[in-house]
Amino acid sequence: MYKISAQNYPIIQEWVAQGSRVLDLGCGDGSLLKTLAGTRQVDGIGVEISHEMILECISKGICVYQADIDKDLSEWDDGSFDYVVLNATLQVITRPYRVIEEMLRVGRFAIISISNFGYARNRLRVLAQGRVSSSARLSGGWHDTPVLRYVSLREFMSSIREIGVEIMDARYFFPFNVVSSTRWPLYNLLAKEGIFRLRRA
Amino acid sequence: MNHTPTLVETQVLPVERPFRFESGDILPRIDIAYETYGRLNERRDNAVLIEHALSGDAHAAFYHRGDRKPGWWDCMIGPGKAFDTDRYFVICSNVIGGCRGTSGPASIDPATGRPYGLTFPPLSVRDMVEVQRVLLRHLGIDRLKCIAGGSMGGMQALQFFCDYPFQFESFICIASSMKHSAQQIAFNEVGRRAIMADPRWNDGNYYDGVPPEGGLSVARMIGHITYLSEKMMQEKFGRLKKDKESRAIFRPSFEVEHYLDYQGISFVKRFDANSYLYITNAIDNFDLKTSLSSRDRFRGEGRQRGAHLDDMRGKRGLVISFSSDWLYPPSQSKEIVQLFSAFNVQVSYTEIATEHGHDAFLTDYARPSEIIRGFLSSLS
Repeated sequence: MYKISAQNYPIIQEWVAQGSRVLDLGCGDGSLLKTLAGTRQVDGIGVEISHEMILECISKGICVYQADIDKDLSEWDDGSFDYVVLNATLQVITRPYRVIEEMLRVGRFAIISISNFGYARNRLRVLAQGRVSSSARLSGGWHDTPVLRYVSLREFMSSIREIGVEIMDARYFFPFNVVSSTRWPLYNLLAKEGIFRLRRA
Repeated sequence: MNHTPTLVETQVLPVERPFRFESGDILPRIDIAYETYGRLNERRDNAVLIEHALSGDAHAAFYHRGDRKPGWWDCMIGPGKAFDTDRYFVICSNVIGGCRGTSGPASIDPATGRPYGLTFPPLSVRDMVEVQRVLLRHLGIDRLKCIAGGSMGGMQALQFFCDYPFQFESFICIASSMKHSAQQIAFNEVGRRAIMADPRWNDGNYYDGVPPEGGLSVARMIGHITYLSEKMMQEKFGRLKKDKESRAIFRPSFEVEHYLDYQGISFVKRFDANSYLYITNAIDNFDLKTSLSSRDRFRGEGRQRGAHLDDMRGKRGLVISFSSDWLYPPSQSKEIVQLFSAFNVQVSYTEIATEHGHDAFLTDYARPSEIIRGFLSSLS
């Protein structure tokens, strides 16, 4: 499986208000919700599809709902949550626009992190090896990697604006653990990942 | 390995005082049949209440002396199992209106010296809950770690949890619903009609003679069709015939006919037709949401209507459904999750992938056991 992005936790904690209601899509073993429950006293629910992860969450006392994010968000009423988080999961989703729209329907704010396919190393790898599916964040071959979406930060940001989503806040992850909230020149080439706080424009 | 089966006996608690039904009707006395497994700890806080389904009884686990088969949920209850009797004190009782030791239509009316039959009061899921409160008081238990049940047992668990949330730390609801759909009511109605169309039913007065076995077994056969998935039925029976040589017409010949015949016949030996009518009627009329906002809760310990629902905040819940269950489909379980989330209960939901239909809640124990064990051990 792709790596679970724990480096984003401090930023998510910073963005999520004390005591808010949080829905974590693709919550994995529930570690983000556990963190947020500890530091921000959030009332959180995770959504997961994997039986093993469901068992992990339930055994930890994390509230989890087994569902396919691509299909099942419709069960929650509008505005049920303050924040809906999609951490390192967007790339495995079949219908990302629909999911983003659903996130901003059931929640007031969305937090989405993505890895940057435009990052220099990814570009070089494709260029040098001619192989698309061996980027650092992928496992397996093209036929069995869970990652379906290859997107750069620039593409992501301009396209979600087009569907009426406002980027309130962003953090870019550069090599050597440099995290910046300003969009430096060449960010689309040099940043490995980005995380965004979004709301309806 | 030489396992001596753990023996248990069903106990009967005679309650020699009037019991008032939700309908307002009163029985002068009742019996409550129950079993317990494991030990109540010194702090009296490790009790788990198990709720049985339509055809179940108090005998949930272990063996009765001389029996070859254990209780109906033995795969889930016992040392090291999902409901670990080394850790928890597990209680299960037969529902009121039933026929397995707790008072029901076949019980003797002290006023007439004859079985109640249809003079037994109309029954609700809430009545089942209230009778269990009498039992819990007798056992000296007022706080429970968990209440759990599947199918009709899930309905009781939800009703009990909602009516007395301060008594429970958590609930587990498996393959159940907060109200029956038209389809579920329809199947039950066909079952009831089968019983009532049997001339031996005789308006419920059959206790002196032969009971309406034909009608009751047909009701059970219908039930069993709804408990299995189409795929499983096909795989299990297909078009296989038991006796290919037989020339007798309209005798059971297909394997599936024999299976249903067997289920029907073995059911009439242990179940009372009137109980079947009363209990199916109770679950058809069960509507959790409506019952929570209903006008008068006359046994409600003087609480303001609805105020007690706030006690659910922060409690824990677990809802489990089975993918191929078309009688109590996953969508009904999801509705339960949404309702309890709205009450601020921390509800988790899992859908177990299985081909075994509704029956899975009695047979597919591996995954549910892991989940339930994890859930219970995560409680405080």
